[in-house]
Amino acid sequence: MIKTRRDVLKLGGGTAALLGLGLPAQVLAQAAANSGQITVAYPTDVPTWDPNARSLAPVQSLYKCVFDQPLTQAPDLTLQPALVTDWVFSEDGLALDVTLRDDVSFHDGSKMTSEDFRYTFFERPRQEVPEGQRRLDTSFLWRKVQEIEIGSPTQARMVFSEAMPTAVTWMHFLCSFMVPKAYMEDVGIAGFLEAPIGTGPYKLVNYETSSRLELEAFADYWGGTPTISRVTMDIVRDPTARVAAIESRRADAAIDVPIREASRLGNAPGLTASIGPVTDITLLQLTNSGGFSDARVRLAAHRAIDKSALNQAFFLGNAVAIDAPAARGTPGYPDDLEFGFDTDIALALMAEMGHGPDNPIEITFATTNGVFPNDFEMARAIAGMWAEVGINASVEPIEASTYQERLRAGTLPEATMYQWGNTTGDPELYAGYLLDPNSIFSAFKSDKLGEMITPLLVEMDTDARFAGYRAVNKEAVEAGDAIGILQGVKTVVHVTDLNVQSYENGWILPHTWSA
Amino acid sequence: MALVILRLLGWRLLVAIPTVLAVSLLVFIVLRLIPTDPAAMSLPPGATAEDLDRLRTEMGLDLPIASQYLIWLGDLATGQFGTSIFFRRPVADLVAAALPNTLELVISGLVLGVSFGMALGMVLFALRGGMAAQMLDLAGSAIMAIPEFLWGLLLIIVLGVSIPLLPFFGRLDPGLATPDRITGSLMLDAVLTGNIQVLGSALRHMALPAMALAMGLVPLVMRVLRASLLDVAQEDYIRMARLRGLSESRILLRHALRNAVLPTVSLIGVQAGFMFGGTLLIEVIFGYPGLGNLMVDAVRNQDLPVIQTVALVYCVLVLALNAAVEVLYLTINPRLRST
Repeated sequence: MIKTRRDVLKLGGGTAALLGLGLPAQVLAQAAANSGQITVAYPTDVPTWDPNARSLAPVQSLYKCVFDQPLTQAPDLTLQPALVTDWVFSEDGLALDVTLRDDVSFHDGSKMTSEDFRYTFFERPRQEVPEGQRRLDTSFLWRKVQEIEIGSPTQARMVFSEAMPTAVTWMHFLCSFMVPKAYMEDVGIAGFLEAPIGTGPYKLVNYETSSRLELEAFADYWGGTPTISRVTMDIVRDPTARVAAIESRRADAAIDVPIREASRLGNAPGLTASIGPVTDITLLQLTNSGGFSDARVRLAAHRAIDKSALNQAFFLGNAVAIDAPAARGTPGYPDDLEFGFDTDIALALMAEMGHGPDNPIEITFATTNGVFPNDFEMARAIAGMWAEVGINASVEPIEASTYQERLRAGTLPEATMYQWGNTTGDPELYAGYLLDPNSIFSAFKSDKLGEMITPLLVEMDTDARFAGYRAVNKEAVEAGDAIGILQGVKTVVHVTDLNVQSYENGWILPHTWSA
Repeated sequence: MALVILRLLGWRLLVAIPTVLAVSLLVFIVLRLIPTDPAAMSLPPGATAEDLDRLRTEMGLDLPIASQYLIWLGDLATGQFGTSIFFRRPVADLVAAALPNTLELVISGLVLGVSFGMALGMVLFALRGGMAAQMLDLAGSAIMAIPEFLWGLLLIIVLGVSIPLLPFFGRLDPGLATPDRITGSLMLDAVLTGNIQVLGSALRHMALPAMALAMGLVPLVMRVLRASLLDVAQEDYIRMARLRGLSESRILLRHALRNAVLPTVSLIGVQAGFMFGGTLLIEVIFGYPGLGNLMVDAVRNQDLPVIQTVALVYCVLVLALNAAVEVLYLTINPRLRST
């Protein structure tokens, strides 16, 4: 029996010793960035290792480690050749001739040819799917491809049913990744999912769902062997755990760290924070209904939002305010558009309607909560700004899936806070989806915008297409059909010894890093 | 005794069938009543309104809820759990990969919680009446007041960052390959393949999530065991043991504990059920690839086939656990075998 304090101490000491025996000494040391080998705390996992199956922007970077796309983008979003070196549209826009590199190997050593190109972008998307299975997302993205004609192992011609000016854009977006025809036909989809191979800079050597990806540099990579020879991507969904991962140096880099933490960690010795705006945007999806059925209220609502204050309060000034639903600097963003925060104009517009702070218009303002950083908090702040000009917004949380259902059913409230991802910067993938009344992604249905957008969907003159979208965005903002809020912000905190290449579209590509 | 246990298990199985059916119906109806559109969630840019309608038809979402339920039930009866909307993989594969991990986590949490709870319960009993016992009791109250996910974060900050003793994400150290899949349980497979390095690494990675899960159990077990020991200590056979000159530690371990442990076993059965619920947040915080993580992903993406299946698996697990506890109870309490 324990009778004395000494007995208690003995018991405690024994327990501690037992615990200690179970813990090897190596765990007592902090992990350090070994040259050529890094660990990255990454917030999300791939849903499947079939890179053509799902078009999810957050996992595009993970796929780009193992697979390649026909084209790619430089850090400043400039279009760059990748597996495809040259591309030329026919005059009528119904065909696209591409030239493929002749020095590209898949991870099994087999050579990539135009047969793989045809298989990826024509045969696979058209394959019959067994009952109960879903079609590949590439079957939607490349539905206009009628045929891919093979000219030689490095020459192919895409033939479209209708002009597809964004074909070049789609070649470096979402799930357009080259897959090996011979290997997939040999091992089948189940075999491929077990051991996926691509032409990318890294080979996948170990994978545990929702936990970890281990990547090994591909020595025969056409772009040169990556400097970092081994990359471990630990899937750490909880942002606090990602902060802890980099703070404890168990990870050499942590992605999407909360902005205040990123700012704090950036000042810590041995750590560097990269915080910058990306091409994702936060916008208000408006509807022409209820309290927002009059354009003057929508315009007043836009004028009343102090985006600079939102930026400072929620992103420490690292975001970029936008008026139109596009990232600034992208081809569809009208340079001459400065809508501006002006409560006087907002009050005047509301007064025209017979409303003001003492006689407010009632609206419902839906927002996701926790889907993207500070969504709910920003919505509440905006509601506070609106109250000052006579718009009384009832803020209601909405699930992402409920948003989709209500968008489809046309029952979204007057305003909904929403985030839209577009790593390419192409205006069709902003306004072409968000403002086209025929798109399943648009909330505001304006015939005028529809008339402006429809010809742009097949416009092959790039300058004319971009100019057209700038006009669309300008019209949408000035008519009160769209309210842009801020561009998204990407945060990466990493050990100072690691050189991390930032991309304006938020890509995380370890093969461009060095230690 | 075997006959009694078999009879008990048979009865439990009989009761389990309507329970599982009721849970399946409840989950199905609740999921269908929420105004969501999983079809729209899974469509990429480029999809049209016609694509959406076609997909809804393919997924059976345009059918009446009763028909959808009966189809699903029929599929379940033939072992078909459907295909995940988000992962585009068979739900059975996803669950089969995640289930052993969650079982490992819960079992580790139970072992830690019960071991520490019982040890501290005995310490509390031994120190009864003293200031140290009161302090320990107070600490127990404080520990219970903190939810599991907060323990997870606290443990990460204290033992992962401030005093970096233990890893807090992933299941193995970088560079270590998972052993060949035999049972699906990482630790068991490491043992079966004789891979000590992997086993050690897996145990270290398991420590913090299991501790976070165990924290809520420790004070409960400690208090219930202490109370039982105090009751048992008044029994005649304990007095007789003292008169025979046995040491206090011998009396405690050989005589009192065996009889005092019964209420603790009941408590463990109930708490283990709650532990499965606790895995949801713990697995997300620690990046642990179990059913909880799968469920959170499924809920975020309105992956109805996965949500339904995982909810049913949780239900079956809790029922199986309750049955196991009753068997254990029966084994250690001979008086119950005659009733």
